[in-house]
Amino acid sequence: MMDDALAGIVLFLILNLVAGMIRIYRGPTLADRMLAALLFSTTTVAALVIMAEWLDAPALRSVALLIVMLASILSLAFVGLPEIAGGKDDSK
Amino acid sequence: MSLTETFALAFLFGGSAFFLAGTIGLLRFPDVYCRLHALAKADNTGLCLICAGLAILASDWQVAAILAMIWLIGLLASTVSAHLIARHAYLSGQKPVEARKEP
Amino acid sequence: MGLMLDIVIVASLIGLSFQSLYARSLFRCILHFVVFGLAMSLVWARLNTPDLAMAEAAIGAGVTGALTMVAFRRLMAISPAQNQSRPSNRSRLALPIALGAGGLVALLGLAVLEAEPVAGLAGMAVMEALPSTGLQNPVTAVLLSFRGYDTLLEISVLLAALLASQAVTQLDDPDPSILTEQPDTPLVGALLAMIVPLSVLVSVHLLKAGSLGTGGAFQAGAVMAGCGVILALSGRLTSSAQPSLLINLGLSIGILSFIGIGLVPLLYGQPLLALPDVWAVYLLESTMMISIALILLLLFTGSISIRRSDG
Repeated sequence: MMDDALAGIVLFLILNLVAGMIRIYRGPTLADRMLAALLFSTTTVAALVIMAEWLDAPALRSVALLIVMLASILSLAFVGLPEIAGGKDDSK
Repeated sequence: MSLTETFALAFLFGGSAFFLAGTIGLLRFPDVYCRLHALAKADNTGLCLICAGLAILASDWQVAAILAMIWLIGLLASTVSAHLIARHAYLSGQKPVEARKEP
Repeated sequence: MGLMLDIVIVASLIGLSFQSLYARSLFRCILHFVVFGLAMSLVWARLNTPDLAMAEAAIGAGVTGALTMVAFRRLMAISPAQNQSRPSNRSRLALPIALGAGGLVALLGLAVLEAEPVAGLAGMAVMEALPSTGLQNPVTAVLLSFRGYDTLLEISVLLAALLASQAVTQLDDPDPSILTEQPDTPLVGALLAMIVPLSVLVSVHLLKAGSLGTGGAFQAGAVMAGCGVILALSGRLTSSAQPSLLINLGLSIGILSFIGIGLVPLLYGQPLLALPDVWAVYLLESTMMISIALILLLLFTGSISIRRSDG
């Protein structure tokens, strides 16, 4: 029962994630699309931490710690992007 | 189901609710600053509740300590990332959406 | 419930990989690729291989993500129109080949599901010989004690890749464009003050934990490289065209110590790379971690060496 509940929560988080990817399609500016990467990092960390309890694999907590430590790399790399015509990336 | 498990499940459901709220905000809010605001809620409170729920289920205190550390570093990373993205958006000239003024 | 989870993960993997190639702008492709790396790490976690999940997370989500983003940044500085242009020479064979490959993978999957599980002889032999190596993690034992040759080749391939990339980039005038837009907020300093000591601690812990559980030289080196990339991106480290003895020493110490320790048993009549005892494993892991971290960092900055930036 507990296992099923944990698996269900991981499933819910991943579905959340897939829904959040819609922002990569729609978001008019680059910064909007970047938000999806931010969401993905945190959701993956949450999913890994729950999986560590569900699959009884304590090593997955170290993986979660790693991801969360290096999560700011992508934002730091993004910030130096040269502005593309007012920030809008019109690819419609 | 014992009392501990009930409490832990309550925390986990609360955390998932915050993640859901974050995603809804990401999809429905009008501009990038509001979306960042919604994401930050999912990061901070959602992760906190999930880590709290799992810490209740944990077998010993070291596991709970690692979960607390994961949450604290997650706080730091999401704060700095949100700040950097918002700053980049502002410096590229994106103005926040004005509130609709009631006539 | 586990089956539904697996189906959702696999479907999102396929969708992500399709979108990393066919999304409408280059930036979207990059984001999909980074997210694909994170999803792969979830897959490895689900398959009960935490070592692979750790390596995938550190490299795929960390170093590679930053590398593609910086490459995109330099591309945008040169020709901003590239963001929208799609390669026009897409072969008509692409779709049939993709479907054929997918069908082959599905066939293999069905074959694996139908097959009778046979006790893996190699696996049993490894578990039986494990106590003699003094290690408790079978992955590390296989990597260093039983199949050390493969690990030696892995570190030489990494070094060769670094030398090849240095041969191709312009080294006389290292392009510091990854650092021109340094974020000058005080928050970055606070982030570094927390993350850098923590990464050093975590990577040394992973190095030592590799003998007992999940971890090892590669994961530890990847975490250190990630830390170095964060330092480079925030302007504390910068590329330099002066070859530095310390950096070159660090780069070569992994492969040199491996070869050195591997050749010594020959003098005593033992086969090549028969490691004497657990201390050799620890020594090799430490030197490999230093080399891997420096190689990955120099692959990121694309320069000969790295130095602390002034100011």
